Amino acid sequence: MQNLLKFLYTYSFLILFLILEGVSIFLMVENNNFQRASYLQIAQTVTGKFYEQADNIKVYFSLRANNEILAKENIDLRNKLASFRKIIHEKKDSVIDTTYKQRYVYFSAKIINNTVSKQFNYITLNKGARDGVKLDMAVLSPKGIVGVVSGVSESFSTVLPVLNRNFKVSAKLRKSSFFGSLTWGGVSSETCILNDIPHHVQVHLGDTIVTTGYSGIFPEGVPIGVVKKAELKDGNFYTIQVKLTTDFRGLDYVTLVGDLKKQEREVLEKKMEQKADHD
Amino acid sequence: MIKEIARNLFNFIFLVLLQVVLLNHVEINGLFNPYLYVLFILLLPFETPKWLLLVTAFLLGLSVDWFSQSLGIHAFASVAMAYVRPHLLDFLAPRDGYDTGTKPNSEFMGLSWFFRYALILVLIHHFLLFFIQVFTFYQFFETLLRAILSSAFTLTLIVLSQLFTLKR
Repeated sequence: MQNLLKFLYTYSFLILFLILEGVSIFLMVENNNFQRASYLQIAQTVTGKFYEQADNIKVYFSLRANNEILAKENIDLRNKLASFRKIIHEKKDSVIDTTYKQRYVYFSAKIINNTVSKQFNYITLNKGARDGVKLDMAVLSPKGIVGVVSGVSESFSTVLPVLNRNFKVSAKLRKSSFFGSLTWGGVSSETCILNDIPHHVQVHLGDTIVTTGYSGIFPEGVPIGVVKKAELKDGNFYTIQVKLTTDFRGLDYVTLVGDLKKQEREVLEKKMEQKADHD
Repeated sequence: MIKEIARNLFNFIFLVLLQVVLLNHVEINGLFNPYLYVLFILLLPFETPKWLLLVTAFLLGLSVDWFSQSLGIHAFASVAMAYVRPHLLDFLAPRDGYDTGTKPNSEFMGLSWFFRYALILVLIHHFLLFFIQVFTFYQFFETLLRAILSSAFTLTLIVLSQLFTLKR
């Protein structure tokens, strides 16, 4: 017994060290990105309030730039509205399609915390479940994609942005519609990497990369970036460096997109899978 | 004694706030991220009990983690750094030991001693931090480069902070 106590005393520093490192590892594993949601419930109410305060000051510095972006978007939307009006007027005699329903809902949110410098970056938004935010909603900026909602609390939500090693989305070349999978790569906040484009496809510098809409998260055709560099790996597939159109450092306001028909689609796809399993 | 505790408490809060409000958002080229908050562990007095060293380092790391949404990572690296500190101090000790009432900063120990001391601990901390963050040895050299450049950035800030306190 005395020996044991003596042993414990001699190595108390080492033992405490090991205990604390054990706790740290436990925390890391427990809170890794797949099980974050529960932790976020507690953490966000505290840190969310804090960042909201800090952001109230920061927002004034980027007012001018944001106004310009909004004005541009307004003009864009007005142009689109005008062209739609024309279509409606021209087709007055056509049958009104009553099965048509709105597919996507859009609403805006403000970024209250954003990092770009880490390997696993996250963005925090000032809207939460109370405002209708749900998991897996798409997050867009006026210029292109931003990420996917990964955690929702009562009044805040977190976004898994493109600039996170866990982010993955299917993307295609706008011209040729060949698609591949897009990941960040972790190098800089301005580029990401598109893989799996077969070697026979013509890829030019400056080609636009857009979303495919296959995942059911992003609407189809949202810009992601432009081809910056394309090289063949193993001779079969391209590894394409994509310059992101969204400027992640200067982000302030984002648009959340919810797919109203997501459930319908998932139910159908699941049914098919089950059927395939039975056969 | 009370004064010492109050000063360290102030250091703790100040460095954590500086880290999460300002330095977490500093990023150059995706390669330089300064983590100045480790300065707190460097500057704790020589007489700090070893267990207290570990516990404060853990709390420090955890506070930074809490605001960086990376629970456990900074805590792990900080505790490891605090564990090495007493061993390193033994190794770097002058022949007749440290004078009582002095602290491991450049004012008492000289800038070159302090620089060696800070260099080793910051490197240990940053290497652990960056490799745990990516949690893979894939792209080993890229992570290595990132850790080295960030260490240089942090060390520059640490030395600047020392020069600043010296003048005063």
